[in-house]
Amino acid sequence: MSAPCRLPARVLSNERAASDTYWLELDAPPIAETAVPGQFVMIGFGLQDLDAPFLPRPFSIGWRGEDGRIGLLVRRFGPGTHRLAALRAGEEVLLLGPLGRGFEWETGRALVCVAGGVGLAPFLFLAPEAIRNGASVSILYGERTGDRVFDPRLVEQLTGVRPDLYTEDGSIGRAGRVIDGIERGTESCLFGCGPTPMLKALERLAREAELSLQVSVEEHMGCGIGTCQGCVVRSSTGDWIKSCTEGPVFRREELAWPD
Amino acid sequence: MAGLTQQLWGVEFQSPVLLASGTCGYGQEYAGLIPLDELGGIVTKAVSVEPRPGNPPHRVAETPGGMINAIGLQNVGLERFREEKLPWLAENLDRSHVLVNVVGHTADDFATVVADLDDAEGFLGYEINVSCPNVKGGTLFGTDPEALGELVRRVRGSTDRPVIVKLTPNVPDIAVYARVCEDAGADGLSTINTFPGMLIDVDARRPVIGNLSGGVSGPAILPMGVYLTWQAARAVEIPIIGIGGIRTARDALQYVLAGASLVQVGTALFVDPDVAINVHREISTYLDQQGVARLADLVGALETSGHV
Repeated sequence: MSAPCRLPARVLSNERAASDTYWLELDAPPIAETAVPGQFVMIGFGLQDLDAPFLPRPFSIGWRGEDGRIGLLVRRFGPGTHRLAALRAGEEVLLLGPLGRGFEWETGRALVCVAGGVGLAPFLFLAPEAIRNGASVSILYGERTGDRVFDPRLVEQLTGVRPDLYTEDGSIGRAGRVIDGIERGTESCLFGCGPTPMLKALERLAREAELSLQVSVEEHMGCGIGTCQGCVVRSSTGDWIKSCTEGPVFRREELAWPD
Repeated sequence: MAGLTQQLWGVEFQSPVLLASGTCGYGQEYAGLIPLDELGGIVTKAVSVEPRPGNPPHRVAETPGGMINAIGLQNVGLERFREEKLPWLAENLDRSHVLVNVVGHTADDFATVVADLDDAEGFLGYEINVSCPNVKGGTLFGTDPEALGELVRRVRGSTDRPVIVKLTPNVPDIAVYARVCEDAGADGLSTINTFPGMLIDVDARRPVIGNLSGGVSGPAILPMGVYLTWQAARAVEIPIIGIGGIRTARDALQYVLAGASLVQVGTALFVDPDVAINVHREISTYLDQQGVARLADLVGALETSGHV
């Protein structure tokens, strides 16, 4: 894994992609060139503007273009994401990345990506890379409501995969949860990213069906490179381990899954 | 070019800017991102006799103008620090100095860490941490003058290396604690550690931080740090390292004018790893513009006449 770099990056575009959801493209060649799927960047506003959110925020690298672009999926949630959602082309942000441990997959295997909400982001990057390596990829993508759905045509355009869509309100795609769409008893490798309840359900399913599963976790983060030890998750051996450097992608066996 | 070097504790600091404990790990994590050997130095993550597991998440959260943290002194413990972390520092840092931040439950714990490390290579001295707000008893020594004096004497008796005591801001009169440290043989003070604080998720009606409370750092605490540094500096002759909310050269210079010989940047590193080098460079520019030959001439040079 290559060393992360720190760079000011120009916003190329920031398009509203769904309710409260934005597709942010940044000009970041050194990161685009070296990142692997599942890795993330810390994105921040620097030290000069005290009106901006102070700490940088971790975001999965959602996609990379051959021209040095990277894409991030931003959903407005708190002050940090509101500020990111309001970015306009030409503005600059501070990036640190690529960071963390990404997904691992074997060529020729069937990958099933299970995404809840903006947990879709890392799979927009994983899917095309894995397909290029000879894997077959399906994407199960769930949102609570239809207005939050990231345009499936855009997903297909970015990844080459038409996602199987689930909404809990049933307004778009199938009514229900993504977890309902997983076929048990296959040789598929599962990949998950999304809210904790979804990941827990996915882990239970994978354990019972003895399927391999890698999850990308999210925890409050300070530095992104392992110094502050702020972003810990519980390991299966009972230790607190850093999601920034030991993750954010973990095999299900590496983590504790309390009920 | 103005002189930013400082002569302290028998060595030269090529820069007055150090990285604060808990924000730069054991140095290695920032290799490749920060030119560590061009800094004044780094202060390691706290080292305790045994490894510590730390607190449950969330451990960090943003606050207005900074952050709150309750890591709980998670660290690899004395043995792994000596065998794995210190050799890297010895090998990779030549010109910048390393202070080892030391914590313990008892005076014996502190003395054990110091005695065990003392013959090792790769560091200059110790920063004695009596001021962590995030573990039970973390500020025990820092808020009891008698216990503090005994601890510092104990550590002083265990080493000939510089002993610097990192004080908590959470006392009614920091000057008392500063004098206690000086009288007990401390070589310097670090002022200050984080302020105890709390952040509540109003929707969930629960504390945001797993440990319920944490330590507040970042630009929000700058004026408190400057004030407490000024109070401590007036009380003692030993050198002081100013800490708290520094993100620019002008922030650092406030600490210097208040009486600090060196400064540490911490939380700002998370926002911009270049901050330490930038602060150093901008201090140099300031000195040139002001026609000040040496940074040392500004230490404690605050003019208060006519102010009350």
